[in-house]
Amino acid sequence: MMHSRRAATALVATLILATSAGCAAGSAASSTPSGSTSASSSAAAYGKTLTVWVMGDSATKFEQLITPFETQTGIDVTVEAIPWDSVNDRLTSAVASGKGPDVTQIGLSQLASFLKGDALADVSADLAAYPNLAESNFPSAVANKALNPSGGVYSVPWIADTRVLFYRSDLLSAAGISAPPKTWDELRADAKKLTDKAAKRYGYYIPQWDAPLPVTYTWQAGGEIMTDGKVDVTSSAFTKAADHYLGLYADGSVPTASDFDQTTGFISGSVAMLVSGPYLAKAVAEQAPDLDGKWSVATVPTDASGTSLYAGSNLGVWKNTTNKVGALMLLNYLADPATQVSWYTSNGDLPAATAAYQDAKLSGDPLVKVYAEQLKDARLLPVSTKWDAASSEILTALNKIAVSGADKASTLKALADKVATINAGN
Amino acid sequence: MQNPPVPVGAKAGQPRHLSRRRSVRAGSRRQPTSRWAGWGFALPALVLVAVFGLMPILVAAAVSFTDLDIGGLAHPETIRLVGAENYLTLAADPEFWSAFALTAGYVVVGVPLITVLALAVATGLNRNGGRFYRLLRTLYFLPAVTALVAISVIWKYMFNGQFGLFNWLLDLAGLPAVNWLSDPTSAQIAVGMVAVWRAIGLNSIILLAALQGVPDDQLEAAALDGAGPVRRYLHVVLPQIRFALGFVVMTTLIGWLQFFDEPFVLTDGGPVGATTSLSLFLFKRGFRLNEFGYASAGSIVLLVTIAAVTLIQLRLRRAND
Repeated sequence: MMHSRRAATALVATLILATSAGCAAGSAASSTPSGSTSASSSAAAYGKTLTVWVMGDSATKFEQLITPFETQTGIDVTVEAIPWDSVNDRLTSAVASGKGPDVTQIGLSQLASFLKGDALADVSADLAAYPNLAESNFPSAVANKALNPSGGVYSVPWIADTRVLFYRSDLLSAAGISAPPKTWDELRADAKKLTDKAAKRYGYYIPQWDAPLPVTYTWQAGGEIMTDGKVDVTSSAFTKAADHYLGLYADGSVPTASDFDQTTGFISGSVAMLVSGPYLAKAVAEQAPDLDGKWSVATVPTDASGTSLYAGSNLGVWKNTTNKVGALMLLNYLADPATQVSWYTSNGDLPAATAAYQDAKLSGDPLVKVYAEQLKDARLLPVSTKWDAASSEILTALNKIAVSGADKASTLKALADKVATINAGN
Repeated sequence: MQNPPVPVGAKAGQPRHLSRRRSVRAGSRRQPTSRWAGWGFALPALVLVAVFGLMPILVAAAVSFTDLDIGGLAHPETIRLVGAENYLTLAADPEFWSAFALTAGYVVVGVPLITVLALAVATGLNRNGGRFYRLLRTLYFLPAVTALVAISVIWKYMFNGQFGLFNWLLDLAGLPAVNWLSDPTSAQIAVGMVAVWRAIGLNSIILLAALQGVPDDQLEAAALDGAGPVRRYLHVVLPQIRFALGFVVMTTLIGWLQFFDEPFVLTDGGPVGATTSLSLFLFKRGFRLNEFGYASAGSIVLLVTIAAVTLIQLRLRRAND
């Protein structure tokens, strides 16, 4: 058994060698102009295998997505699914061992670790040959400068994601509110109005694990969370953001239970409004199709601005790949608006390429219209490992005040001290 | 400590049948060749312990004096020696101390609780060898053999404030809902409860095995001498199972000091850090924020704590024997 399998492998290998040699000979011999169909064959030579890390559980769909690429180029792509929870483990072991994939998906919240681990290749010199990867194809939120604070181009956009206001239109109109809140003040007033303790209903919901929320509030208040490489929790904008966050709790408009489930809560009507991502729309549509028409989305309520979060994923070429050209060809294929649209139809992820939104499949969807609108005013979280350390501190401090009744002034002072230590680190 | 591998604490004060067996073995060890043969048999295990037990500890100890992070993994030349800085930062880190205090609290409450409950269950199961009791035995053992994460997830659903089983039952009984996992104090209790529930299974089986080894004739003799059930239990049964009890106490003690899985799955250390045990704190710093140097320093502190507590316990037992 063992023996025959090895023999078979050897046979297959010989066959591949023979055919590829034949192909090379053939293409060299027949230099007819009609023979060179694809642009890639005229480009530099590329390897015939690629390993790709895809995060989450969409590996099967991803394999289907790239089948045309494999047939076009003859590259055999191995897709490896990495659960989101173990991304960091895989990253650190790959960095330590020096053995990684050729291409990897990078959740934008983890980009800083990938950069600090020096795992990715700088592709800035190669981009000109791959038109789909041009910076101008993507929203300004993911401009090269924002993605690569220390210069270079280490990743290209792949999936977009943002946060919008979800609201139960039926509950709003029952409370006499005709339109979703447009400003912070309206949000607070509406949330208070919608809260009904007897009916166990809250007007608004703040996920206690949502680290980006205080940051988007800071942006909306017209400030920055990180300036000159230092996290800033003493600015007036941050103070305003904290007041908004804590005010919603102080009004009693927000559930204080940390294990509150937002999908169940929104479907059951325990919360009337919340800020969340397209994944919530998907979950509600799947779990409660009969709720259709009783809920909708809107761009986030504004203060000085209506800036929301740009989340999602990028793709990067691993630093020590032996097939950089093949990897870039794959990136170019994946950034093609047509590929982006088919990924949206198969997996529901929003395209990063702006042109993809003109496709009827997207432009006809009222939800996507709102997402696209919000993506125009959305920003990345700071790409910094300092920020990663500070974000959970900020969240814990705010929740201590909001939920456990800690003293506001002293807790924020302790937070500022803690953040100062983080800023002082390397 | 002249005769080599005699297990610690095996010398004095053993229950009689045990020490008799030991003395037989000790007799055969006097032949000079078997001494080297003994080391030969132990060698593979020693190598394994050295490679997979000792070496990681030494590596962690070395790393704890550096500022190793993910950047250092990629470029080892950038790793700096920082001396005791990590340890000093640790000593001044309120989160470390709150994790330390929480873990200590779990030890103080959890070890006696698990030991007493496991002993009670074992004593109950030992009363009868009938089919029903054998079924019960299986049921009690079940938590110890099911996948930890799977059962923790189920507990998480039962504890959920919105749609959990417990609050539904409370509601049926007309009682107010409890924020099981979202109130700091009740989350600490809930997470500890799951760990206690899990630990009782295995430990009661260990104690049950020891209880079944208590010779009936001794109990009979004590009864004939006029000892009531309580006295027989305290003065015949308990001394006989002292060894197993000591084992249970020590393993649960170490288990609580390394308390990790339940808070990891149930609360991820929340709400607002209330259930962040020492191990979870180290995990978060080491494997979420990639502060390997800092986390290593913390793990060395944990190691020393466990070693110290275990040594003290061994000393106390030897003094008792």
